[in-house]
Amino acid sequence: MSKEVFSQISPSEFFYRNRDLAGFSNPTRSLYTSVREFVENALDACDQKKILPDIHLSIKAVDAEKPDPKHYVLTVKDNGPGIDPEHIPLAFGTVLYGSKFGLKQARGMFGLGATMAILYGQITTNKPVTVKSCSDGKTLDEFVMLLDIQKNKPVILKHTTKEGSKTGLAVSIVLEGDYSKAGSKVRDYVYQTSLITPYASITFEDPSGEKFHYPRIVKDMPHPPTVIKPHPHGIDVETIRRMITDTHYQIPTIDNKMIDKVKKELGLKKNLSHKEILEKAQKRWSDISKPVRTVISVMSFLNIDFEGLKKIRIDDIDIANKTITYWDFGESQTHAIELDPESPYYKQLASTVQGDTLLTFLTKRFQRVGPTTAEKFCDFAKFKPDKRIGSMTNEELVKLADALQKFEEFLAPDPSCLAPLGEEPLSKGIMKFFNPEFAAVWQRNASAYSGFPFVVEMGIAYGGDIPPSGLKVYRFANRIPLLYDEGSDVVLKIVNETEWSRYKIKGDPPLVIVSHICSTRIPYKTVGKENVADRPELERELKNALQYLARKLAVHMSRKGADDMAKKRANLYSKYVPLIAQFATELAGKKKEPNYNQLIRMGSEIEEQV
Amino acid sequence: MRLKNKSSAKTAEERKKRLLSLLEQQGISIYDNLDKGRFPQFVIPSRSVSNIVYDKKIRQYILGSASAVRSSRNMSQLRSYTQLAWLAFFVNRLVREGKSSTLRDIYYSSQAFSIDFEDQPESDNIIVDLEAVLTSPREEFHIFPEERSSVFGDLTIEYTVPGYEGKRMNLSDHPDGYLIGPSLSSAELVDTSAELVIAIEKGGLFTRFVEEKVHKKFKAIIVDTAGQAPRSTRNLLRRLNTEMGLPVVILADGDVYGEHIAMVIKSGSANAAHLRELTVPDAKWLGVWATDIEKYKLPTIPMTESDIKRIYDLQKDPRYQEGNWKTQLEVFLKIKRKAELEAFSKYGLTNITDKYLPAKLEESKSF
Repeated sequence: MSKEVFSQISPSEFFYRNRDLAGFSNPTRSLYTSVREFVENALDACDQKKILPDIHLSIKAVDAEKPDPKHYVLTVKDNGPGIDPEHIPLAFGTVLYGSKFGLKQARGMFGLGATMAILYGQITTNKPVTVKSCSDGKTLDEFVMLLDIQKNKPVILKHTTKEGSKTGLAVSIVLEGDYSKAGSKVRDYVYQTSLITPYASITFEDPSGEKFHYPRIVKDMPHPPTVIKPHPHGIDVETIRRMITDTHYQIPTIDNKMIDKVKKELGLKKNLSHKEILEKAQKRWSDISKPVRTVISVMSFLNIDFEGLKKIRIDDIDIANKTITYWDFGESQTHAIELDPESPYYKQLASTVQGDTLLTFLTKRFQRVGPTTAEKFCDFAKFKPDKRIGSMTNEELVKLADALQKFEEFLAPDPSCLAPLGEEPLSKGIMKFFNPEFAAVWQRNASAYSGFPFVVEMGIAYGGDIPPSGLKVYRFANRIPLLYDEGSDVVLKIVNETEWSRYKIKGDPPLVIVSHICSTRIPYKTVGKENVADRPELERELKNALQYLARKLAVHMSRKGADDMAKKRANLYSKYVPLIAQFATELAGKKKEPNYNQLIRMGSEIEEQV
Repeated sequence: MRLKNKSSAKTAEERKKRLLSLLEQQGISIYDNLDKGRFPQFVIPSRSVSNIVYDKKIRQYILGSASAVRSSRNMSQLRSYTQLAWLAFFVNRLVREGKSSTLRDIYYSSQAFSIDFEDQPESDNIIVDLEAVLTSPREEFHIFPEERSSVFGDLTIEYTVPGYEGKRMNLSDHPDGYLIGPSLSSAELVDTSAELVIAIEKGGLFTRFVEEKVHKKFKAIIVDTAGQAPRSTRNLLRRLNTEMGLPVVILADGDVYGEHIAMVIKSGSANAAHLRELTVPDAKWLGVWATDIEKYKLPTIPMTESDIKRIYDLQKDPRYQEGNWKTQLEVFLKIKRKAELEAFSKYGLTNITDKYLPAKLEESKSF
C-alpha cells in the first residue's frame, strides 16, 4: 500500500483552487462578478447603517490600446460607515472573515465574494488591492495589501493616514477582464440594481469614459433586515454543532473589547503576568461575570497573559475528550491542549461547555419555540428535556437534527428578518424606469420553505415607453439582479406557463415584469447564484402574485380596449353612414338624403356584439 | 328561318327592367331604414360548401335555403356592407347609362367614392355577393371578365347598347367570328337559319371549322369557348337553346378537363350556384370521350398527377355518378392517357370535320 500524504490547506488556498465555483471562471465572468461583489457589499453596508447609498463604480483599462482580455482597474466607492482601520487587513486580506454569519437577509453571503475578487485580481495581475476607509468622519486610512494565499493572511505593503471629511469606503483592484464581452452585462447589472434600489444613487463610468448615472428616486429606505434566531426546520447537523459551540463559548471572539472587559472586572490598571491575573481572579471570583470567568479559565489552561490571548482564537472546547483547540495567528497553525480535570477551572469550563438543557436550548436559541412546543418535541425526538446539549455525542446530534426537520408542530418562520423593498418604492422605481401607461405592484405576505422565511414582491408594467418587443422579466433576489441562466429559473417558468391571452395580452406586448424574492436563504440552483430553484412554496407565491397583477392588467386592458373600440366605432360610423345614405338616395331615385344622424350616434354607442 | 320563341324566355330589355327594379327596391329599403334610425342590412344567400346542393329537377347546382345577414349594425361588417351598397349604386349607374365595365375597372372605380377595396379579390367577392342578393349574373350588371370567347354563324342580332339601338347584324359576315362581349350579350336575338350550336374548346379548331364551312354543312352556329366557357358565353348558349330552340353540342379535348367543360355548360359550376340561366341542361357532350381515343386510334400523351387527382375529385360530384359521364371518367382513369382535339390532324387536317364530327353527331342521336 502506498502511503498517502495528508496536508491541510488554508481557506484562501481552497477558494483559489475552486474559484470557478464562485463565478471567477474566465475574464468576462470574473469582471462582472467582481463588480457585483463590491457594489453589493457597498449597498449592504449602507443598508445596515440606514445611510442613503451613493455608489460610484468605475472600470478603467490599464492600457487601453491592448486587446481584450486585458488589465482593468475596478474601483467601487461608497458613502457607507467605512470599516474600523483595525479590521481592514483582516476583512480584505483573509478569506472567511466577515460579519455576515448571522441569519438575516443580505445581498452577499459571508463576505467571501469581495475577497475572492481581490484574490482573483492578485492572481491574474500580481497587483495589490487598495482600500481607503473613513469610519469616524475624521481620519482616512489607506491600505495597500497583498494576500498570502497559503497562510490566509494579509501582507500590508503600505498604510497611510490622512484627514478625512466623511465616512465611506473605496476599494480598488487591478484584475484581468474582458470588458468588450462583459460590458453589456455590467451595464444591465447597474441599470437593474438601480431599479431595485430606488433609494440609491449609482454612477458607473465605463472604460470609454461614458457615465451612466441613476439618481435617487425615493428618499425613504426600507427597514434594514434584523438578525434573528434560526427556525428549527432550517438547520442541519453542522449548524446545530456551531450553535452549541457558541452557546458555551461566552468568549466567541477575544478582541480588545473583551480584554478590556476582563481588565475592568478584575479592576486591573496595568498589564499583569499570567500568575498575577489568576490570583486577582480568585479573590473576586463570585463578583465576575460568566464570560470573564471563561476567559480566565482558558488563560489558566493555556498558561498565557493578555498579550498571548490576542494572538489566538479558540476553536473548540471538547469536554468529552478533555481537550481545548485553538488557532495561533502567529504560527498559523492549530494547537490542542489537554485539560486537567483536577483543576478548579475545569468545572467552570465544563459547566459552560456542557451548556443548557435541551429544553432551554430549544426555547432560547430557536425562533418561535416555546416551552410547550419544546417539551412536545423532546417527547417526539425521544430526548430527555433536561439533557445537557454540550454532552451530546455525534450520533445524538444527528438524531436531533433529523428530528428537528421532521417535527411538524413548529410555528412558521418569523419573517421579521426580511427586508422587502416595499410596494411604494418598487412602484416609484417602475414608474421612473419605464414610464408605463399602466403599472401595478404587490407584496405577498411572508411564507416559508424548509424553515427559511421568504417574501415575494412583484410589479407589472405595460405600454408607455416600454418598446413592443415582447415580455421582459427582471428578476431580483435579495435586491440583486439575476442576469445569467434565465432559462431554468422558477420566475421565468411561472411567467412562461401563464396564458397571457387570458389577460388580453397578445403578440409581442410592451410588458415588463419585476420579480423580487427576499429570503434568509434564496434557494439558488447553482453556486453562481443566478437562477432560483422551483421550490413548491416559492412557486405558489410567485404564481399568486403574478396572477393577481395579471388580472389587474386585464382590467386595464379591457377598459382601454373598450375606449379604443368606442372611438373606432364612432370613426367608422361617421365615415360610412353618409356614404350609404348617398348611394341609397340615388338607388331609390330620391333627391333629398335621408336623416341619418341618429344612426351615426347609435352606431357609436352600441356595445361590442361578440 | 327560326324565329325567337318569345313566350319561354325574357328579352334583354325585360331582364334590364327587372334588374333596375330590384336595385330600386334595395335602394328604397336602405333609404327608409336610414331615415327611421334603423340599421339597414342585406340578406345574402350563403355560398358556403354546405349550402350548395345539386338540384336534379333543374339539373344544376343551386344554393340551399341558408343565408347570411350583412348588417350595418355590426361594426366588423360595416365596411363590406358599404362596399355592397356602393356596388348596387354603381351597377345602377352602369345599367342606366348603358356602360360596361370589367372586374378590374370596378376595383379602380371604387376609389373615386372613397370605398377602399384592399385588392381586386375583395371587390370580386363583393360582386359575387351582389349577384347572390339580386340572383343575376354580373354580365347583367354590365361587368365583364377580361376573357372573351367568339361566335360565328347565321344569326341576326339587334343591339340594345347606346348608339346602336335597333341596329341589326348577321354573325356570319366576319370569318374570324364575333367577340361575345357586352354589346353582344345585351343584344336581342332576332333570327337564324341554323339548326345546331357547336361549342368548341379551342380557337384553332374554331377557325378550322369556319374554313371548312361546318356552319353550312351542318347548319350550325359555332361558338369558341376558349377553354372553360365564360359566363357570358354560357348565357349566350343558353339563350340560343331556350330562345331560338337550337340544340347545343360540345367538343372538347379528350381529357378530364374537357369532360368537365362540357359538364359546366350543361349544368353549371359550384362557383355559380347562386345564379340561374347559365346552364343548357339539354346540351350534349359530343367528345372527345375516353373511349374515342381507342376507337379513333388517336395519338395520346400521358396524364399528369394533377389530371388523375382531378378525376378522383370529380368522381365525388353527384353529376358523375351515372351514365356516360361516369363511364368516361373510369376509362380515363384506366388508360391514364389523354388526347387533344388537334390529335385528329394525324389523319389529315379535315379528318375531324369530315369523319369524326359527322360520326359523333350521328351517334349523339342515341344518347
